Amino acid sequence: MESEIRLVFDTLSLTSILVLLVLGMGVIVSMMGVFNLAHGEFVLLGAGCALLSDRWLDSAVWGMVLAPIVVGLIGVVLERTVVRRFYGRQEASLLATFAIGLIIRELVRSRMTIQVATVPPPIESTFTFLGAQLTWWRLILIVATPILLTVCLVVLRKTSLGLTIRATLDNPNLAESTGISTSRTYSLTFGFGAALAGLAGALIVPVLNFFPDLGVRFVIRSFISVLLGGVGSFAGPVVGATATGLPTGLLPNWLSGVWPEVIVICAAIVVVRFRRNGLLGGSR
Amino acid sequence: MSNHQDPDQHDSEPSNVDPDAHGGLSRRNLLIRGAGVAAAFGFGSSILAACGSDDEEAGSSTSAAPAADTAADDTAAPGTTPDAGTAAGGGAPSGDPIKVGVLTDVTGAFSVVGASNVAVAQFAANKINAEGGILGRPVEIVVGDGASDAAAGATAARTLVESDQVDVVIGGVASFTREAVKGIIAERGDTLYIWPASYEGGECTPNVYSTGAAPNQQLDPLVPWLLENKGTTFFLAGADYIYPRNVLAYVRELVEAGGGTVVGEEYYPLDATDVATLISQSIDSGADIVFSVAVLPLSVQFHQGLRDGGFEGTIAGTLFDETATVLFGEAATGMICCQDYLYTAVDAASQKVADDIIAESPDTLFTSTINSPAWYRSFYLYKAAVEAAGTTATAEVGAAFDSASFPDNPGGAAAMKPGTRHCSLPIYIGEVLADGSVKVLVDAGVIDPVECG
Repeated sequence: MESEIRLVFDTLSLTSILVLLVLGMGVIVSMMGVFNLAHGEFVLLGAGCALLSDRWLDSAVWGMVLAPIVVGLIGVVLERTVVRRFYGRQEASLLATFAIGLIIRELVRSRMTIQVATVPPPIESTFTFLGAQLTWWRLILIVATPILLTVCLVVLRKTSLGLTIRATLDNPNLAESTGISTSRTYSLTFGFGAALAGLAGALIVPVLNFFPDLGVRFVIRSFISVLLGGVGSFAGPVVGATATGLPTGLLPNWLSGVWPEVIVICAAIVVVRFRRNGLLGGSR
Repeated sequence: MSNHQDPDQHDSEPSNVDPDAHGGLSRRNLLIRGAGVAAAFGFGSSILAACGSDDEEAGSSTSAAPAADTAADDTAAPGTTPDAGTAAGGGAPSGDPIKVGVLTDVTGAFSVVGASNVAVAQFAANKINAEGGILGRPVEIVVGDGASDAAAGATAARTLVESDQVDVVIGGVASFTREAVKGIIAERGDTLYIWPASYEGGECTPNVYSTGAAPNQQLDPLVPWLLENKGTTFFLAGADYIYPRNVLAYVRELVEAGGGTVVGEEYYPLDATDVATLISQSIDSGADIVFSVAVLPLSVQFHQGLRDGGFEGTIAGTLFDETATVLFGEAATGMICCQDYLYTAVDAASQKVADDIIAESPDTLFTSTINSPAWYRSFYLYKAAVEAAGTTATAEVGAAFDSASFPDNPGGAAAMKPGTRHCSLPIYIGEVLADGSVKVLVDAGVIDPVECG
């Protein structure tokens, strides 16, 4: 029984973390058509906020509150200075965002002597459920993910910002002619995606620890989730993340831990081959 | 989990440790300094063979090494060594210096290791000069920066051998650097190459000598002791690359030969971010002992996760020493380690070596996992070999190195085991205590390497 509980808990927690990380990337890809390879480093910066607030203010909570604001602002600045110069040129924007990510990551690395740091979670310790000892913070991540997901959906579907974003995505020229500033919308959208990445980073760092490659290790997986789920809708990447997260949690029970990732990626390639627009195929 | 003893990562130097007023080395100092070591080591040796794939990628960045241009500044200034007369050797060395190439990662991901390696090398060279040099000649070190990158290491090695024309090269942090430089130094360069690291074993190239522990030297004493004292069921866990796989394959052999059972063996990909399932599998296996060759950064999550998940058995491994508590916090308490040097295990004279080095360069990490003891003995083994050969010619020194010995090795006498290209070493089994120190449980005596047979 214990081991089944742990299995379910691990799977949920792995999946929620992946969904959490994909949210921001999904917003930027789906709403702007930009694959942001610096996404991992936005996550890293968010994690850094939590780390610094733990070291300076004795609690990671403030970092979690500030991370979306700080990283969101950084996102806006980067969009205005770098990213917008490459709209419409997908390869160039891949390279530009990759470079931004590389610079951030190596700056962090050069600032760290010891290449890993732990961030104690605001709620420490563990609880026992039907014999299995589980950590509180992972449970909080499992609960926080659907909440955050709902908030994002509400923002995109029910607010005027969301309407503006969707209008800009659908038809920039028409949106522009109705008085919407598309360039401002792009900044805001990119900032919103970055803020989500920052928040995700701050939330996951108590579980995963802080190290320079924390973000970049998720980028490929996030990328695959987005492709698998389908670009162009908000739900696509989330579905994709769930579809890749569940097997990586479940498969290690029958296979060696080095295989699930391989299998998931192969399966994703097959799916994308036959459903070119991903699982949610192009439904905007 | 409440007592996180990790040092502040954002301090670019671990030197916020106050220099010990008594000129000695406080436990805490050692620990905090040690942290960098293990951190870097975990990274370093972790990426070792696994980074073979990086080689091509790195191949393009040939100019990366500042290489030997730092060398001139770093030479040991042989003539200036003070107190030459006080040492055993007598008069000040004179004549052409013997050039020792110090190849380590001064920059890049393993720079913490590199800084300590250079400090130990400089200290050893000064000490040898103060004792009269080698064959009456002064020792001069020439530093080459491998920059934590195989291609940069190759460039640095080429500069050391071809431009600086060093008599011997000591160094390498990660195995991928050793693989990249050994041909340049030992084969094409016909220069002696000393590899000072505990590693996965199997290095038997002519002109190459290993002075760190081979896997059997740590495992032969450790596994039977665990079987006798801690339980008979083992779960083997590690990162998925050559070092953990080699070590755990041998652990399995020893466990089964000793009547124990391996109830699980699992690896996580080197680029993993979350080892939750590995933690659960380890716990669910019901093993008495989790034998861990997890490496940084995921080792922190793994070891803390085991304790958070309620694992009450023993965590043992080859990569633990005084740094464990700094890295893993409370989860380190009770970890069983096995090394050729533990600060608490060695006699006062050996401890003085560590204290003196740290007094001279306060940021130096003198622990097994950063290879500091191996670097130190490499210099003295080379000295012994040259003196036995009466020359610095590679062939003669190589023949003499095969049986060179160093009675004053920190930790206990060390000697090359003839025919193995590896070094017989004193080995200690220790247990990490709550205060971060390591209590020596067993002095396993001198263990011979089983290599290159």
